[in-house]
Amino acid sequence: MKPVKIAMVSLTHGHTRKYYQTLRDNEKLDWVASCAADRCAKEVYDLYHTGVPCYLSIEEMFEKHPDIEAVVLASTNDRHLEEMRECARRGVHILSMKIPTFDLCEYDEMIRLVDEAGIVCQIELELHYNPVVHRLKELIASGTVGRILSMQATNITLSPVWAFPWQGVPEASYGRRVPLREGDARFRGGALCDHPHIFDLIRHLTGSEFESVYSVVAPNLRPELEVEDMILCNGTMKNGVTFLFDPSWSRMEERLTVPAPGWEVFPKRMQVDVTIIGEEGTIVCDCFGPNVYHNGAPNDRYTVQYTYFDEWIGLVDEFVNCIRNGGTPEINLKWHRKTIECMNACYESIRTGLPVKVEETGSSEE
Amino acid sequence: MNIESMNEKLQLLLEKYMPGRRAEVEADSSVGCGAVLCRDGKCVRLLPWRVERRFTELKAVTENGTLEGISTLRFAAMSAEVNLRDLLYRELDLCEFLGQSELHSAFAVVSGSGIANVLVKLADGKSASIECSAALPENTPAQDRHEIIARRGVASDRVVDTQVPQSSIYLFRKEGERCYTDVDSELYGLEYREIWIVRAAFAVIRLPVLAALWNRTDLLLRRKVDAVLNTAEVGRPVFFSEVLA
Repeated sequence: MKPVKIAMVSLTHGHTRKYYQTLRDNEKLDWVASCAADRCAKEVYDLYHTGVPCYLSIEEMFEKHPDIEAVVLASTNDRHLEEMRECARRGVHILSMKIPTFDLCEYDEMIRLVDEAGIVCQIELELHYNPVVHRLKELIASGTVGRILSMQATNITLSPVWAFPWQGVPEASYGRRVPLREGDARFRGGALCDHPHIFDLIRHLTGSEFESVYSVVAPNLRPELEVEDMILCNGTMKNGVTFLFDPSWSRMEERLTVPAPGWEVFPKRMQVDVTIIGEEGTIVCDCFGPNVYHNGAPNDRYTVQYTYFDEWIGLVDEFVNCIRNGGTPEINLKWHRKTIECMNACYESIRTGLPVKVEETGSSEE
Repeated sequence: MNIESMNEKLQLLLEKYMPGRRAEVEADSSVGCGAVLCRDGKCVRLLPWRVERRFTELKAVTENGTLEGISTLRFAAMSAEVNLRDLLYRELDLCEFLGQSELHSAFAVVSGSGIANVLVKLADGKSASIECSAALPENTPAQDRHEIIARRGVASDRVVDTQVPQSSIYLFRKEGERCYTDVDSELYGLEYREIWIVRAAFAVIRLPVLAALWNRTDLLLRRKVDAVLNTAEVGRPVFFSEVLA
């Protein structure tokens, strides 16, 4: 299969390092250009010596490289719509970061743009391609634990805000400045926005959609942030499955401006642990374990060295396959909308202090 | 639980440290730890987790400056033997014991009679999550986790990058695997759960003021458990100041 000529835009997302490696190493991709959001992002990009030309204007990048077939939109959430418009206009396929937008009017415009342009738009939820998740799905589908009754999951990480400051800026992360609730100095746009994965996963595992959700925030571990960093949610799916999620930034970090070894203070910088309780058994699983461990450089601190980490292979396989063979990615804009609706409902629950019905609002078909 | 063995060990402790004193634990089927202390014709409700070493160690690191600025408690308890109310009773008490603040509000979602996913707010603003399941299959060892997350430091009774409790000894033979976790020399031979009931009984005998405190706490905890489980029915969080007024 002919490699897809791909570019990367903005370079300010938390997964940029992973994409530098993926775009360089994956034989299904031909990385032809990059475009930085600003000079600062370009300076960081230059540290990686990719050898791939980097521009400061998306128009210039497309003009110099008219053969670009697809882009990774590694930008702040508030720029996604504008960049999708540009891609749709040019018929360029899109690998979108995990939050296309929280604004459902914008979201529906994205759906329309992609449909009208006939392009592939895949949402980057790499957990979907994790081998432990694959096994988990298989175990559930084969009836190992019977009918699912409940799911608990963490999607807890360090906070990327020191390297990617926009993730602590409400306008850039959530799209606008919305107070968490009356009397709270914080705004929407923090840890929750970084962690849609488990909200997506439960839909796959249960085959059901969200019914209602309740959410609370705790005092921030990083008081200087304007956004929430400790948040918990529980709720019910339409088929009666109950859940409890922790999507917090509860693992502390060194405040590095460029991610590097020694970033983590807590030994394990990211944890996705899932418990599935069924009528006939219980599964507990760690999607990123076991690993190897060291207490060497740079901080001589006991550290979990992530060892099995190949999600981006399956992710790129699906993206390229959809482009070359005309398919629709499983996590596409329309599918992902219900995940975003639930995350918005979490914020609404924090505002009201009550459980909130997760209702479909402003569907693209309306 | 083997009440006879537990009472033998309790008498050993009393003879060693408080000669002449008599007391016994009795099985108790109402909500709680499964046993009460009986002495001088009165019963004392026991809160054995308050003397369980892993919890006293966790409490110590919350109080001695090891952890600073506690934000969130993440608790989980799964059991094949203990019912949901008893699990929730213990975990709610641990929220207050380790969180150093009273319960303020809570909301639960419940699956059947054995599973509850609860979010709790403490009066000082801390959050807590409690994952309770009495749905483990028969003969499955109890699983739990108690993690305290602070601005400075995280403390937990589980090892980083592991999912299940560790044992002190693993014995591998062709007949299968066996694990042993022995944590108390004086009470050697008792099961883990039994040890802390005996230790709790002994603590009350040594420090009689605990009797009234724990009996009072028990009364409140029963009402809190009912109130939390009721939130799943009514679809609204409970504010404990209203329930306990």
